[in-house]
Amino acid sequence: MRAQFRFRIRLIFLGIIAIALLIVVRLYFVQIVHGDDYALKADRQFTSSAGGLFDRGSIYFTRKDGTLISAATLETGFLVALNPQTLTNADTAYAAIQKVASTSVDRETFFAASRKTNQVYIEVAHHLSDAAGHALATQKIPGIQVLRERWRSYPGDTLASQAVGIVSFGSTDTLSGRTGLEAYYEATLSRTGDAAYKNFFATLFSNAGDFLVDAKNAREGNVVTTIEPAVETRLASDLAAVQAKYHSKETGGIIMDPATGAIIALGSVPTYDSNDLSSVRPSVLGNPLVEHVYEFGSIMKPLTMASGLDAGAITTNSTYKDTGCITVDTYTICNFDLKARGTATMQQILSQSLNLGVAWIATQLGQEKFRTYFTSLFGQKTGIDLPSETGGLLGNLSKPQQIGYDTAAFGQGIAITPVQMVRALSALANGGAMTNPHLVSAIKLDSGVTRAIEAKDSVPVFSSRATEEVSTMLTYVVDHDLAHGKDTIPSMSVAAKTGTAQLTKPGGGYYKDRYFHSFFGYFPSYAPRFIILLYTNDPQGVQYASETLTSTFMDLTQFLIEYYHVPPDRAVTSTNP
Amino acid sequence: MSKTTVMRLPVSPIKALLGGALLLMLTYVALIAMVMNYAALTVGFAQSVRNDEAKIASLEATYFSMLSEVTKTDYAARGYAKPIAQVFVPSAPATALR
Repeated sequence: MRAQFRFRIRLIFLGIIAIALLIVVRLYFVQIVHGDDYALKADRQFTSSAGGLFDRGSIYFTRKDGTLISAATLETGFLVALNPQTLTNADTAYAAIQKVASTSVDRETFFAASRKTNQVYIEVAHHLSDAAGHALATQKIPGIQVLRERWRSYPGDTLASQAVGIVSFGSTDTLSGRTGLEAYYEATLSRTGDAAYKNFFATLFSNAGDFLVDAKNAREGNVVTTIEPAVETRLASDLAAVQAKYHSKETGGIIMDPATGAIIALGSVPTYDSNDLSSVRPSVLGNPLVEHVYEFGSIMKPLTMASGLDAGAITTNSTYKDTGCITVDTYTICNFDLKARGTATMQQILSQSLNLGVAWIATQLGQEKFRTYFTSLFGQKTGIDLPSETGGLLGNLSKPQQIGYDTAAFGQGIAITPVQMVRALSALANGGAMTNPHLVSAIKLDSGVTRAIEAKDSVPVFSSRATEEVSTMLTYVVDHDLAHGKDTIPSMSVAAKTGTAQLTKPGGGYYKDRYFHSFFGYFPSYAPRFIILLYTNDPQGVQYASETLTSTFMDLTQFLIEYYHVPPDRAVTSTNP
Repeated sequence: MSKTTVMRLPVSPIKALLGGALLLMLTYVALIAMVMNYAALTVGFAQSVRNDEAKIASLEATYFSMLSEVTKTDYAARGYAKPIAQVFVPSAPATALR
């Protein structure tokens, strides 16, 4: 009796174990061995057969009040796919699609696809709205599939497009960031796409740690930039106006907070609409602000002046004898107007943009000290959070010929990127220390945590006394010399300088009649909130930067003062007692 | 000869084990149902969030186009003129307003 009872008990146990084993084995096959197939089957009920719905983190602009506005986000809608094997009436299908599609479907392409009867899936229309997709789906046209689709969308269209970047397939079959922030923050923005079908058992059995604390949550997130959309819109509009007026090869600009290095706005034209890349030249997709180098011309002079003052090679009271032209190493360098000034002051060098004046300062400094200052300013890449940044070309400062130093002193013979230039100039506006330009202030992780991106430490180059003296000189330039002082703002001190450089010929030497115009300035002069760098390359029918960029700079300055309510820093007359 | 007593359980062990197995099976099915529901809800919520984000993106596109329109507006052509003079006044203490 007892033996029989034990036998039954064991039999039941064996039965339970066998059933449990069967279930476990079945689960193993369903969830681990064939898990992907089942996930794909589930996907196909809603999405295209090409895989899961595209997913990616967002990039945000930050308004002055802290509100985040999407620079890059996702849109959801439908795509239409054709199954030529089950399509019964191509004409009816085409007419139905044409009726709802937001963009016209090419008739020839559609009918060519419908004849490919050896295929079962050909996508013929994309980016249909929800309403259009549902309207088409309810018609249940044989051979037509209406499937969920999600795609990258840039609400600002052309706004900061070169900085934000694009997503494309490139040489692989994976959509990923190719340029701009999209590429630089690819690891943060990309999504693995398995979140919707998280495999509970597989995750539990294979990687319990990740199930409890998801490592992806510590990596995946959204990118918050320092770009202010209203300022960016204004800068883009002004740059486009300059480009159109002077038919330049390109025009660009950067507005930055010199104290932190946060870039408020940046852009260059020609640019492109990130939502429609069908007719974009590949050369436009890059970002000239970090990838191209230019000889900036006379906006280099304040840096030469600051170097001389900081090293003690000159003082603000120094004078030199200006002969109009000098010969250095068999080369002749002259003032822009070839005229001699006689005994000239340091203020005159900046006010009248005297090439011989800064060449004299370079000589007073000596080659080694000059090289040390300029290598500190331009010898390194800025480390800005954009891909493909290039470094400056400072080869002339490695040679013993003095002509290289003299020309570098007024911004010719050395070539640097606009971002390097604005970084170097920020030293004048930040007590002698260069700040590091950056576009991203924080990463909002999917876990809910916001990780602030700390700006790198600023790099001291000049003493604060030297930069204050240069600021005083540059403020004098705006108050008295720029447009003969007509553009001065009574309530605000503004420090600025124009630059006009001759363009280099491909085979060496310089064009006599083609120029690169630049303009930089900051305000309030002695506690700057903003630094602005503008340039236009090869403008037509105009020689000097004071003619092309002064009004744009002053308009931008006025706009920023009003938009940010920058308080006046100068005594103003009041009608009140 | 001693008299042996047979101990009887109040419930048959086979029935108890069967009941246990049934309970485990039900728990297992319930767990699967929960996980499936959770997954369905997750997908639904994720889709809902994405749809809302798409609507926001559409509104943001409108915002950008309005911003662009405002920036490009030629106020002079619309009859507005720049102020002849801009005068700043010293800020008065709040009590002066009473």
